[in-house]
Amino acid sequence: MKRALWATAVLCLSAAGVAQAYPEFQRYSKERSGRSINCALCHTHSDGPEGLRAGQIGSLTQEELDTLGLARQATAPGSGLKSPILNGFGNLMLDELGRDRIQELRQRPESLAESLPAGSDLDGDGIPDGQEYLDGTHPLNSLDGQPLKLFRNNLGRHGFHIAMMVLATALGLYGLHNAILWLSTQTGKEK
Amino acid sequence: MRPDWLRRGLDYLSERLPVQKMSFESLVTKKVVPVHRMSWAYYMGGLALLFFLIQLVTGVFLLFYYQPTVSDAHASVEYITYYVNSGFLVRNLHTWSSSCMILCLMVHALTTFAMKAFARPREVTWLTGSMLLALTFAFGFTGYLLPWHQIAVNATKVVLQSIEEAGRYLPGALSGLPTYVKEIIQGEASVGQATLSRFYALHVVILPLLFFGVLGLHLLCVQLHGMSQGTDTPARRSEKFFPIFMLKDFWLWGVAFLVVFVLAYCLPFESFYPYPLFEPYDSLGSTPDGIKPEWYFYFIYYPLELLPFWVVMLGQTLGGAALFMTPWIFKNTSRKVLGIIATLVSAYLIVITIFGHDIYEMFKGGGA
Repeated sequence: MKRALWATAVLCLSAAGVAQAYPEFQRYSKERSGRSINCALCHTHSDGPEGLRAGQIGSLTQEELDTLGLARQATAPGSGLKSPILNGFGNLMLDELGRDRIQELRQRPESLAESLPAGSDLDGDGIPDGQEYLDGTHPLNSLDGQPLKLFRNNLGRHGFHIAMMVLATALGLYGLHNAILWLSTQTGKEK
Repeated sequence: MRPDWLRRGLDYLSERLPVQKMSFESLVTKKVVPVHRMSWAYYMGGLALLFFLIQLVTGVFLLFYYQPTVSDAHASVEYITYYVNSGFLVRNLHTWSSSCMILCLMVHALTTFAMKAFARPREVTWLTGSMLLALTFAFGFTGYLLPWHQIAVNATKVVLQSIEEAGRYLPGALSGLPTYVKEIIQGEASVGQATLSRFYALHVVILPLLFFGVLGLHLLCVQLHGMSQGTDTPARRSEKFFPIFMLKDFWLWGVAFLVVFVLAYCLPFESFYPYPLFEPYDSLGSTPDGIKPEWYFYFIYYPLELLPFWVVMLGQTLGGAALFMTPWIFKNTSRKVLGIIATLVSAYLIVITIFGHDIYEMFKGGGA
């Protein structure tokens, strides 16, 4: 009962505009990149924070609701809090920028990328999170990235494995080549 | 005493499948390959076979982990991708090689057509080749659903819906047939567990068995008849199939394998699409933008978006019939005319595949 009341209170606050998702970033990323974006860019649930499904406010436990309340009071950077309705990227924004700065950036969402730590790459695909935001790709999905950038990064990263595969294929083909030539000579001799 | 129709039937078959000619000499030592400006086309069938073999091997590895249930399918694919050793590579090899196989088969079909390699006595070779092309598309369609993500389920729904729509244009009792076909494929009221089970069975058992049978007959025909001349005047030069052509073929296989390996290792196929399309399918959630089939179905998808349904259905039916009836329809057509037709078809396929979305935007606007 208490949990339901909490959830209702948070949903009411959301409806009043006190604690809603920030679609400006999503809109900017979509317009700039031309790629389809959804709330899963920053949120746990792809349909956003409001609702009763997993990762949405209505599904949170009492403890998670408490954490959410604290996270929403984190106006300054460096709080170290993990909001249960945000994913790793959303929480990175919260921790690095704080709510006040995020609110300020809503007016100029193009500045979000440069406000994030330059070296931060949450999914480890070699493309910084800020750049992924600009490219309209997911900062937490290593398979999602601007194709050419991913190709270049992975080529550098897997260079040794690729070189080994080239060597193995070449040696295998060299062996096969000689085996076929030997077989050809043998059939010629028999004839 | 054999009846006349049976005798004629057997004569027809023995000309198309001259198994009595089969010997070590005819298949290996005496077999030659003409050398001319279109000789590169002789390698396309072999390349398609290589990509099929890659799919076979990677498909078996994927089977070890994939769970064909609506609750676990997406999670098992995620598990393969992120937790199984080299799972990402195997899965991406499977995806890239399927696209490469379809590309090679399309080029193979078009060049075979342009070179008139379907002419008597190679009708059975063409027919089995056309069946392999159709089976490959069926592989693509059934495999697309298996990861059970947003684009997979929604695109399958769109295709099944268009099958049902065809009923509106059929007369009388036939109008119910497409709905019946759709229900058989779907297995339940909407795309769900029954559909996934059917597509899985088709993809991993039924289609491979059919493919092996038809491929065996196709390869037998190719071996029995040898390489077609390919040009109006006999080539001035030829090379021995064994070992010269075979060696070149294997080296090309090596290069093609390395190309697809590097692509699979460095370029996730999914990176070409927006990430919301690869989220687990959620029947209660919103449908993301950009639902469309794989690129090799664009040649029919974009016309469906742009033109009246009956026009596309008619075109598709005539095109399909023409594909299978090619040896008889184009029996007396010159290679020059065949070359022009093949070029036009190629141009259409390239333009609609690369610029289909732009063309759609130009005429209809909004998101495709």
